[in-house]
Amino acid sequence: MIPIVSLAVFLPLIGAVILLFLPGTSKAVSHGIGIGFSALTFVLTLVMWSRGVVPGGFSQVEEVSWIEAIGAAYRVGVDGLSLPLVLLTSLLFLLSFVYQAKSSDRARSFVILMLMLETASIGTFVALDALLFYVFFEVSLVSMYFMIAGWGEKDRQRAALMFFLYTLLGSLPLLLAILGMFLASDPYTFDMRIWIETQPLTGIGGMLALIAMLFTFAVKIPAFPVHTWLPAAHVQAPTVGSVILAGVMLKFGTYGLVRFSLQMLPDAFASAGMVVLVFGVISAIYGAFVALAQSDLKRLIAYTSVNHMGYVVIGVAVAAMAVDPAMRAVALDGATLQMVSHGLVTGALFFLVGMLKDRAHTREMSHFGGLLKITPVLGWSFIFFAFASLGLPGLAHFPAEFQIFLATLNISPWAVVSILAIVVTAGLYLRAIGLVFLGEPGKEWLKMPDLDGREVLVLIPLVALTIAVGIVPGIVLDTIHTTTTSLGF
Amino acid sequence: MSLLSLAVLAPVVAALILLLVKRGAAILALLGAGTGLLASLGLLRGAFLGNAPQRLMLPGLPDMPLRLEASALTSVLSVLVATVATFVLIYAVGYMRKDPEKTRFFATMLLFVAAMQALVLSADWITLLAAWELIGVSSYLLIGFWYAKPGVASAATRAFLYTRSADLGLYLGVFLLIGASGTSEISATLATTGTAAMIGGLLLLVAAIGKSAQVPMQDWLQRAMAGPTPVSALLHSATLVAAGAILLIRVAPMLPPETLFIIGLVGGLTTVVTGLIALGERDLKRLLASSTSSQYGLMFLAIGAGAPVVALLHLIAHAAIKSGLFLGAGVFQHERGSTAFERLAGSGREHKRIFAGFVLAALALAGIPPLSGFFSKDAIIAATMNATGAGWLATLAIAGTVLTGGYMGRAMAQLWQGKVEEAKPSGSLVWMGWGMAVLVTLAAVLGAGFPALERLLGAEIDTTLAAEALGLGAALTGLALGWFLPADRLLGPLLPWAREGFAVGGGMDNLVMRPALAVARAMNAVETVLYEAVFVFGRLNLRVGRGTRISDEAGIDGFIFGLADTMVRTGQKARRLQSGLIHRELALTIVTTGVIAAALFAAPLFY
Repeated sequence: MIPIVSLAVFLPLIGAVILLFLPGTSKAVSHGIGIGFSALTFVLTLVMWSRGVVPGGFSQVEEVSWIEAIGAAYRVGVDGLSLPLVLLTSLLFLLSFVYQAKSSDRARSFVILMLMLETASIGTFVALDALLFYVFFEVSLVSMYFMIAGWGEKDRQRAALMFFLYTLLGSLPLLLAILGMFLASDPYTFDMRIWIETQPLTGIGGMLALIAMLFTFAVKIPAFPVHTWLPAAHVQAPTVGSVILAGVMLKFGTYGLVRFSLQMLPDAFASAGMVVLVFGVISAIYGAFVALAQSDLKRLIAYTSVNHMGYVVIGVAVAAMAVDPAMRAVALDGATLQMVSHGLVTGALFFLVGMLKDRAHTREMSHFGGLLKITPVLGWSFIFFAFASLGLPGLAHFPAEFQIFLATLNISPWAVVSILAIVVTAGLYLRAIGLVFLGEPGKEWLKMPDLDGREVLVLIPLVALTIAVGIVPGIVLDTIHTTTTSLGF
Repeated sequence: MSLLSLAVLAPVVAALILLLVKRGAAILALLGAGTGLLASLGLLRGAFLGNAPQRLMLPGLPDMPLRLEASALTSVLSVLVATVATFVLIYAVGYMRKDPEKTRFFATMLLFVAAMQALVLSADWITLLAAWELIGVSSYLLIGFWYAKPGVASAATRAFLYTRSADLGLYLGVFLLIGASGTSEISATLATTGTAAMIGGLLLLVAAIGKSAQVPMQDWLQRAMAGPTPVSALLHSATLVAAGAILLIRVAPMLPPETLFIIGLVGGLTTVVTGLIALGERDLKRLLASSTSSQYGLMFLAIGAGAPVVALLHLIAHAAIKSGLFLGAGVFQHERGSTAFERLAGSGREHKRIFAGFVLAALALAGIPPLSGFFSKDAIIAATMNATGAGWLATLAIAGTVLTGGYMGRAMAQLWQGKVEEAKPSGSLVWMGWGMAVLVTLAAVLGAGFPALERLLGAEIDTTLAAEALGLGAALTGLALGWFLPADRLLGPLLPWAREGFAVGGGMDNLVMRPALAVARAMNAVETVLYEAVFVFGRLNLRVGRGTRISDEAGIDGFIFGLADTMVRTGQKARRLQSGLIHRELALTIVTTGVIAAALFAAPLFY
């Protein structure tokens, strides 16, 4: 039996190590290794997808004992919650390597960093051991830190400092919660499956652990008011960094919210659900309105992430409070699908903003105008993903948001006020489209080249998947639904 | 392939082929629309023969499949959409002949037709909602077709935002109905009763107000005229705006009397207010747009009076009439390069045959027998006279009828009176003329088919002599006033207000858009404070760190923030920055270990 899951986790790391010990590698070889290893990893995750998941637990589990005395082991596996995210991760990394292939700025170091980050990201989603999860979770932050600090824009020092502060403050509470869970388990273990099954912490201990976890995940998601690192990081990060940050790393937060907070502490979460819901609603509305006030296109998209991830928080919170298991499944289906949709759509939008910036060296919306005439492929791609992002039916966000709002109205009706944000989102995207792409073409942009073959290649899979998930959400939802209908609480 | 899927898919497939091959736009568009029309007619034939309704089920969300169904009602609507679409497209072949972006135009039109077919044939709420939003987007793309022209982008944006704001009503209504009945199938949710039915109905009304451009959301439709004329004829008279009325017609069996009465009032108010706006208009296309709101107001009145089938008849008559009128307007615009009455004066005498068609359609809209509008309008007046709250509803219906005659009389007078200019020979007039001729013929004779439709839909409509006399009198009065009197005499002091669209408090711009932008700015100010606060907090920590380091070497805080400080100061070059960071990781490890140790010591407290 080939350990496919472990291979998918560590193959990128192997690539990084090979590159590290190849002396004097050229730019082409570096990018080649990056694309090759991430492509192989993508194939492996496709194999994982084809093997599928089972109801009521994890499948494709691989286990090696490590420190038996404290019940720590190397354990990986997937269920309907993590498998779609693993596939999303390997796809976005592959596309990022393709996008980056023309860059000559310290290519070798960049590819090494990216490959390390890919291992950490896939590892975070498949880890079934809490210590292992924490290690991957932390390592990913370090890689992203170096990426922003080394390849960012002018003001990266400030962004780096902010990232540093949030890293420090954000992750430690989760570690405390993990230790609490460990000490409460009998016999001692870090096995997340046992924690989910036995739910060792209850009462006040459970509530304290939940609060600690919520803090960590709220920073990561990010939810109001601890979201301010996100726009700072996005504005300074290189394009690929933004794609991975928004497309993959924000999902660590929402994934943890379901995997740890909801599955291991369902009772505590049910009683604190209203608080979480309030933060979700505020994030969704606040993110949309602040995005409306932006003039920098990348910043605007960064804030729509706060809005979209707010919907995920709402979905998970109402799932925690749901009494009817069918409605809970609807809420969780929607929340999980929203993570996937956001990865596809926002990933694509960050790619597009990067492509625009590569050409124009500015992202200030008022500097543009009429670009649709000059660069029709870029323009129509942006319009397509903007409509996807504002929740147009037939595209990826609609089925997810439909389910989240449907469940919200039937579980906690007041929270459906957050649906106001879909109008605000529509307004801000149409405003952006109007400013940048419609109207009379500006003279200074008349010679701007349209997307080249490599750039189109990056977008095509995202366009196809955005349509596919929108029209036949079952291709992802069936996997998710298998797990959400068989949760043991 | 079933007729049902063909009706929806034929335009989609044609559009996709068109986008791929990028040539033969007109032929492909006509093929796609024509095939769809044949399929719709097949469905209607099945309904007349009394066959069991065709159904189609596709996987959608878990336990909520997507459904299409061709019942008697939905088949009729499907034929209506396909017919108008086909003839508007025939007309567009001429109208768009010289446009360099024909491919984009016809592809978007076809996508719109497909979405509209999905809307009328939908049998579950998710399909309906999806189609509803997709026609909104098609409308955005078509209004914005000439996007490089000034003002076009904002007109398109406004149309989409207005309707999407109202769409929240549809979203919430749908969530409520699915939650109350446990299924997304429309026919099953119609059994909902009590408060859920009343609130659900009102929420759906909000969505319908937006789509059908009813008061207070009537403003976007007039501005939507920035698009090409075939777009106005297809979307903004006969199909997209029809979605609101269609929605209410379909859910009418569920609606309790209170909700119905409110629907009637909204409709009545709209028919009068937008009728007055139309009377004061100085632009033919904008007049027709206001008239559309006004006629949909009459349909809402009929629904409110408990006669949804009457509303449907007027919808059908209006679709043929109004698209015919728009196509006529398009010909005059094509010749004179404008739709302002000032420029159009006398153009009716240049193209007498087109003008004759325009007059026929105008008289049909006013309600002159034996043209189609006469039958539907009288049925509306009769229905409102028998309804609860007849005093209100019937008065408004008759006022709306007078106004209809008034603005149509005025439009005809403006086109006829004035100087004749040199007519340019134009080859594209052939296509345009044929497309218009068929629609105007339909507008004239459709009334003859109404009894058969009533039988098909199982609703006997009785009209009284009183209603007929009242309706005809109102129509003739209006026509005479409109033809002979100028707008300022008719409207008097109301004229300036009517020309501003009866905007209350500055209209939706002042009431919704500006506040929304103000909220955005306020939240952004909060955001700036939050954002800066974190930096202040960071710097404060650095300072505390320095202080602690001086006073107490072992202070962990000082150590770590001091390191960060060093990192920031020395981090100008990436290389040195990175070496600084390794120390940072070391520091983190130390802190983490300390926390683990502390937690382990504190662990017994958890027991």
